[in-house]
Amino acid sequence: MDWGKIRFFLGEVWRNFTRNVIMQVTAIGTVTVMILLLGTFLFAQQTLGRVGGDQIAKIEISVFMTDKATPADGQRLMARLKSDPRVKRMTYIPKAEGLRQVRDRLKGQLDTSLLTSNPLPDALRIRVVDPNQVHAVAAAAGKMPNVANVEYQRDFVERLLRLYDVMSKVGLAFMLLLVVTAAIIISNTIRLTVYARRREIAIMQLVGASNIYIRLPFICEGFLDGLIGAVLAVLLLGIGRWQLWPKLASSLPFFPLQDAGSDFGTFALQLLGVGASVGIVASWISVGRYLRT
Amino acid sequence: MISLREVGLVYPNGTRALDGIDLEIAKGSFVFLVGHSGTGKSSLLRLLYREQKPSSGMVVVDGIEIGKLKRSKIPELRRKVGVVFQDFKLLLDKTVWENVAFALQVTGAPTRDVMRQVPRVLDLVGMAHKSRVFPNELSGGEQQRAAIARALVNNPKILLCDEPTGNLDPVNANEVVDLLHRINLKGTTVVVATHNALVVDRMRRRVIRLEHGKVLADDERGLYHGIESDIRRDAEDLALAARVRHGLG
Repeated sequence: MDWGKIRFFLGEVWRNFTRNVIMQVTAIGTVTVMILLLGTFLFAQQTLGRVGGDQIAKIEISVFMTDKATPADGQRLMARLKSDPRVKRMTYIPKAEGLRQVRDRLKGQLDTSLLTSNPLPDALRIRVVDPNQVHAVAAAAGKMPNVANVEYQRDFVERLLRLYDVMSKVGLAFMLLLVVTAAIIISNTIRLTVYARRREIAIMQLVGASNIYIRLPFICEGFLDGLIGAVLAVLLLGIGRWQLWPKLASSLPFFPLQDAGSDFGTFALQLLGVGASVGIVASWISVGRYLRT
Repeated sequence: MISLREVGLVYPNGTRALDGIDLEIAKGSFVFLVGHSGTGKSSLLRLLYREQKPSSGMVVVDGIEIGKLKRSKIPELRRKVGVVFQDFKLLLDKTVWENVAFALQVTGAPTRDVMRQVPRVLDLVGMAHKSRVFPNELSGGEQQRAAIARALVNNPKILLCDEPTGNLDPVNANEVVDLLHRINLKGTTVVVATHNALVVDRMRRRVIRLEHGKVLADDERGLYHGIESDIRRDAEDLALAARVRHGLG
């Protein structure tokens, strides 16, 4: 280990970093905002995804058979649907069972003893593996023989899926915009440092410093901007997670919020990685552009 | 050591800086490049440390063909070639010691080498006693000697000097050229571009005269205005003397 070399290198990095404090603060602040929003967004998406997922998992397709269908027809239909890999689980409800369920559900609201004959057909209830396949499975079931009609909560499913989809896309676009902004500001900061140090760089090139030696202090500067910004954001997210979240959760008891902070450590590390990477890539690009010309 | 064959250099704006240059500079020699401003002296030096690529012809420096040198191999060349400028190009926020050490440190040299080489070259240029001083507190001559120390600290085989005495008074200029001479005597090939006639005439070394990007004269023990002009001037002086004598007589 050559401590003289390390001290020289760290001295160079420190010199870069302290050359323009205001720009450095701007760059770090931008990264903080970026990571903060990224973290909040990912958290919101995860929570909504989980809530939506719970609802979607409960969605069932009801397949009603024609009046003249025999129990044997019902068995055949079940066998056909069972071979479909999109179907997760299904239950066969003969008309007697259906009537009993209706009676249970309407108990106290309606005098079901008035129902002497059974108006219900035999039915199947299907749950699918992937909520996106509800439509397809319902349509397929509708075309099978002896099927009278198919019902499911079409509107609800569609809205939930669309909301989730739109949120993901908007959020992604928004995040990309933020990442690009942070990268541009870091790269601008580095460019200012490069400009302030152009004499040093010229002399380095003159005396035969290799490119990586010239680049490294600037890359470190970008890395520090990204990392420090991300650390600040993670601290703020941590405060939000342990201080604000419990209050919010207790004020919205009807909303099935779950504790999403169990893997906060991994989440924080990922965010730090994003911050540091943005810093490194941005500075690499801006120094590279200077050295080529 | 340095060889140029049919070398031409045209800048992107169309200026023809060098045109059909043929030169051989032997290992260990001391060469002056003279000529008016804009005759291509600096351009020629810039080719030798690959600040410029030749537009045509072949430039070879210590076995390296400049035109074909890969960008990633430039640092290797630069470590064999020390360069000194008219404006010194010292870093003002670093001391003399730090300026010289910087040239080694940025090539990744081990601290052991830095501690050994820096005192050696500072001693060679006579700046050891000023090693803790900042450039702004030095005279021009001292700054140039510090810059020479920096150019030498990598132990280059070739030392290129672009108007090294341009900012110096005659006394300091002579000192710097004497230093370059001493460095040359230790075996380093030295090429000095200058229009300091006094220095050139005092040294009487090889003088290559450029004009409009071409080699106009190449004299083994030359003078700034050329040996022929020197002879002519001598002849004119004799003629004048004769006329004066005649007039008087």
